[in-house]
Amino acid sequence: MEEVCCGLKVGQDVPDFSIETYEPSKSDFGEFSLETQKADKKWTILFFYPADFTFV
Amino acid sequence: MGAEVVTVSTDTKFVHLAWQREEKMLENVKYPMGSDPTGNLSRLFGVYDEETGLALRGTFIISPEGKLLNSEVNFYNLGRNIDELMRKFKANLHLAKHANEGCPSKWKDEGDKTLTPSAKLVGRVYEALK
Repeated sequence: MEEVCCGLKVGQDVPDFSIETYEPSKSDFGEFSLETQKADKKWTILFFYPADFTFV
Repeated sequence: MGAEVVTVSTDTKFVHLAWQREEKMLENVKYPMGSDPTGNLSRLFGVYDEETGLALRGTFIISPEGKLLNSEVNFYNLGRNIDELMRKFKANLHLAKHANEGCPSKWKDEGDKTLTPSAKLVGRVYEALK
Protein backbone atom coordinates (compact mmCIF):
# COMPACT_ATOMS: atom_id res chain seq x y z
CA MET A 1 0.00 0.00 0.00
CA GLU A 2 1.26 3.47 -0.83
CA GLU A 3 2.19 5.62 2.15
CA VAL A 4 -0.29 8.40 2.88
CA CYS A 5 0.80 11.34 4.97
CA CYS A 6 -2.35 13.39 5.09
CA GLY A 7 -5.69 14.13 3.64
CA LEU A 8 -6.89 10.60 2.90
CA LYS A 9 -9.46 10.40 0.12
CA VAL A 10 -12.45 8.09 -0.12
CA GLY A 11 -11.55 4.83 -1.80
CA GLN A 12 -8.08 4.76 -0.26
CA ASP A 13 -6.93 2.19 2.26
CA VAL A 14 -6.51 3.67 5.72
CA PRO A 15 -3.07 2.88 7.14
CA ASP A 16 -3.18 1.00 10.44
CA PHE A 17 -3.20 3.34 13.41
CA SER A 18 -3.89 3.17 17.10
CA ILE A 19 -4.83 5.86 19.58
CA GLU A 20 -5.26 6.07 23.33
CA THR A 21 -8.84 6.27 24.55
CA TYR A 22 -10.94 6.89 27.59
CA GLU A 23 -13.70 4.27 27.73
CA PRO A 24 -16.73 5.53 29.65
CA SER A 25 -18.31 2.04 29.61
CA LYS A 26 -15.41 0.71 31.70
CA SER A 27 -14.43 3.96 33.41
CA ASP A 28 -10.91 3.16 32.28
CA PHE A 29 -8.31 4.08 29.72
CA GLY A 30 -7.87 1.90 26.66
CA GLU A 31 -6.62 1.78 23.12
CA PHE A 32 -8.36 1.78 19.76
CA SER A 33 -6.57 0.04 16.91
CA LEU A 34 -7.67 -0.16 13.28
CA GLU A 35 -5.70 -3.38 12.92
CA THR A 36 -7.87 -4.99 15.61
CA GLN A 37 -11.03 -3.71 13.92
CA LYS A 38 -9.94 -5.32 10.65
CA ALA A 39 -9.10 -8.59 12.43
CA ASP A 40 -12.59 -8.51 14.04
CA LYS A 41 -14.20 -7.59 10.69
CA LYS A 42 -15.84 -4.52 12.20
CA TRP A 43 -16.85 -1.20 10.69
CA THR A 44 -15.39 1.98 12.15
CA ILE A 45 -16.92 5.44 12.34
CA LEU A 46 -14.42 8.14 13.30
CA PHE A 47 -16.02 11.28 14.65
CA PHE A 48 -13.59 14.21 14.99
CA TYR A 49 -14.52 17.35 16.95
CA PRO A 50 -12.57 20.42 18.04
CA ALA A 51 -12.42 20.22 21.82
CA ASP A 52 -13.80 18.76 25.03
CA PHE A 53 -15.90 21.10 27.19
CA THR A 54 -17.42 22.74 24.13
CA PHE A 55 -20.64 21.77 22.39
CA VAL A 56 -20.14 18.89 19.98
CA MET B 1 -25.50 -1.30 14.27
CA GLY B 2 -22.35 -3.37 13.95
CA ALA B 3 -19.94 -0.47 13.86
CA GLU B 4 -17.62 0.91 16.45
CA VAL B 5 -17.96 4.66 16.86
CA VAL B 6 -14.85 6.40 18.15
CA THR B 7 -14.82 10.11 18.85
CA VAL B 8 -11.50 11.91 18.42
CA SER B 9 -10.21 15.28 19.54
CA THR B 10 -6.75 16.63 20.29
CA ASP B 11 -7.50 16.57 24.03
CA THR B 12 -5.73 14.00 26.19
CA LYS B 13 -7.54 10.94 27.57
CA PHE B 14 -7.36 12.57 31.01
CA VAL B 15 -9.40 15.52 29.80
CA HIS B 16 -11.86 13.13 28.12
CA LEU B 17 -12.33 11.42 31.47
CA ALA B 18 -12.88 14.71 33.30
CA TRP B 19 -15.30 16.01 30.69
CA GLN B 20 -17.34 12.82 30.56
CA ARG B 21 -17.64 12.77 34.36
CA GLU B 22 -18.47 16.46 34.63
CA GLU B 23 -20.91 16.99 31.76
CA LYS B 24 -24.40 15.63 32.47
CA MET B 25 -25.16 15.40 28.76
CA LEU B 26 -22.40 12.79 28.44
CA GLU B 27 -23.43 10.53 31.29
CA ASN B 28 -24.80 7.86 28.94
CA VAL B 29 -21.86 7.88 26.54
CA LYS B 30 -20.67 4.36 25.68
CA TYR B 31 -18.26 4.91 22.82
CA PRO B 32 -14.51 5.13 23.33
CA MET B 33 -13.20 8.70 23.31
CA GLY B 34 -9.98 8.79 21.32
CA SER B 35 -7.12 11.13 22.03
CA ASP B 36 -4.92 12.65 19.33
CA PRO B 37 -2.71 15.18 21.15
CA THR B 38 -0.05 15.17 18.39
CA GLY B 39 -2.67 15.81 15.71
CA ASN B 40 -1.18 13.00 13.62
CA LEU B 41 -4.44 11.12 13.14
CA SER B 42 -6.29 14.37 12.42
CA ARG B 43 -3.65 15.23 9.80
CA LEU B 44 -4.01 11.78 8.23
CA PHE B 45 -7.70 12.51 7.67
CA GLY B 46 -7.09 16.10 6.62
CA VAL B 47 -9.02 17.70 9.48
CA TYR B 48 -6.15 19.19 11.50
CA ASP B 49 -6.20 22.98 11.76
CA GLU B 50 -2.54 24.02 12.10
CA GLU B 51 -3.52 27.50 13.31
CA THR B 52 -5.58 26.37 16.27
CA GLY B 53 -4.22 22.88 16.97
CA LEU B 54 -7.78 21.58 16.86
CA ALA B 55 -9.56 19.04 14.67
CA LEU B 56 -12.39 20.16 12.41
CA ARG B 57 -15.74 18.34 12.53
CA GLY B 58 -14.90 15.37 10.32
CA THR B 59 -16.79 12.09 10.08
CA PHE B 60 -15.29 9.06 8.36
CA ILE B 61 -16.67 5.58 7.71
CA ILE B 62 -14.08 2.81 7.34
CA SER B 63 -15.00 -0.66 6.08
CA PRO B 64 -13.96 -3.89 7.85
CA GLU B 65 -11.26 -4.18 5.15
CA GLY B 66 -9.84 -0.82 6.17
CA LYS B 67 -11.02 1.19 3.18
CA LEU B 68 -12.23 4.76 3.63
CA LEU B 69 -15.75 4.90 2.15
CA ASN B 70 -17.22 8.20 3.33
CA SER B 71 -15.83 11.51 4.36
CA GLU B 72 -17.66 14.58 5.59
CA VAL B 73 -16.00 17.66 7.06
CA ASN B 74 -17.74 20.69 8.53
CA PHE B 75 -16.21 23.93 9.76
CA TYR B 76 -16.34 24.67 13.51
CA ASN B 77 -19.75 26.28 13.55
CA LEU B 78 -21.88 23.59 11.92
CA GLY B 79 -22.97 20.44 13.71
CA ARG B 80 -23.54 17.10 12.03
CA ASN B 81 -26.80 15.33 11.35
CA ILE B 82 -26.81 11.86 12.88
CA ASP B 83 -29.71 10.72 10.64
CA GLU B 84 -27.58 11.37 7.56
CA LEU B 85 -24.63 9.53 9.11
CA MET B 86 -26.89 6.54 9.84
CA ARG B 87 -28.28 6.67 6.28
CA LYS B 88 -24.78 6.53 4.86
CA PHE B 89 -23.76 3.75 7.19
CA LYS B 90 -26.82 1.63 6.31
CA ALA B 91 -26.20 2.25 2.61
CA ASN B 92 -22.63 1.03 3.06
CA LEU B 93 -23.88 -2.17 4.70
CA HIS B 94 -26.28 -2.71 1.80
CA LEU B 95 -23.65 -1.99 -0.85
CA ALA B 96 -21.14 -4.30 0.82
CA LYS B 97 -23.60 -7.14 0.11
CA HIS B 98 -24.80 -5.88 -3.30
CA ALA B 99 -21.68 -4.61 -5.02
CA ASN B 100 -23.36 -4.07 -8.41
CA GLU B 101 -26.02 -1.67 -7.04
CA GLY B 102 -25.99 2.01 -6.19
CA CYS B 103 -27.96 3.79 -3.47
CA PRO B 104 -29.54 6.98 -4.86
CA SER B 105 -29.83 10.22 -2.88
CA LYS B 106 -33.31 9.41 -1.56
CA TRP B 107 -32.34 5.92 -0.38
CA LYS B 108 -33.02 5.79 3.35
CA ASP B 109 -33.21 2.22 4.52
CA GLU B 110 -33.22 -1.42 3.52
CA GLY B 111 -36.13 -2.04 1.13
CA ASP B 112 -35.87 1.33 -0.63
CA LYS B 113 -35.15 1.27 -4.35
CA THR B 114 -31.57 1.00 -5.49
CA LEU B 115 -30.17 1.42 -8.99
CA THR B 116 -28.18 -1.12 -10.93
CA PRO B 117 -26.16 0.74 -13.56
CA SER B 118 -26.48 -0.71 -17.08
CA ALA B 119 -26.95 0.45 -20.66
CA LYS B 120 -30.72 0.15 -20.14
CA LEU B 121 -30.62 2.62 -17.25
CA VAL B 122 -28.97 5.41 -19.23
CA GLY B 123 -31.49 8.23 -19.54
CA ARG B 124 -34.11 6.15 -17.68
CA VAL B 125 -33.32 6.84 -14.03
CA TYR B 126 -36.66 8.59 -13.52
CA GLU B 127 -38.58 5.51 -14.66
CA ALA B 128 -36.34 3.17 -12.66
CA LEU B 129 -37.05 5.05 -9.43
CA LYS B 130 -40.81 5.32 -9.96
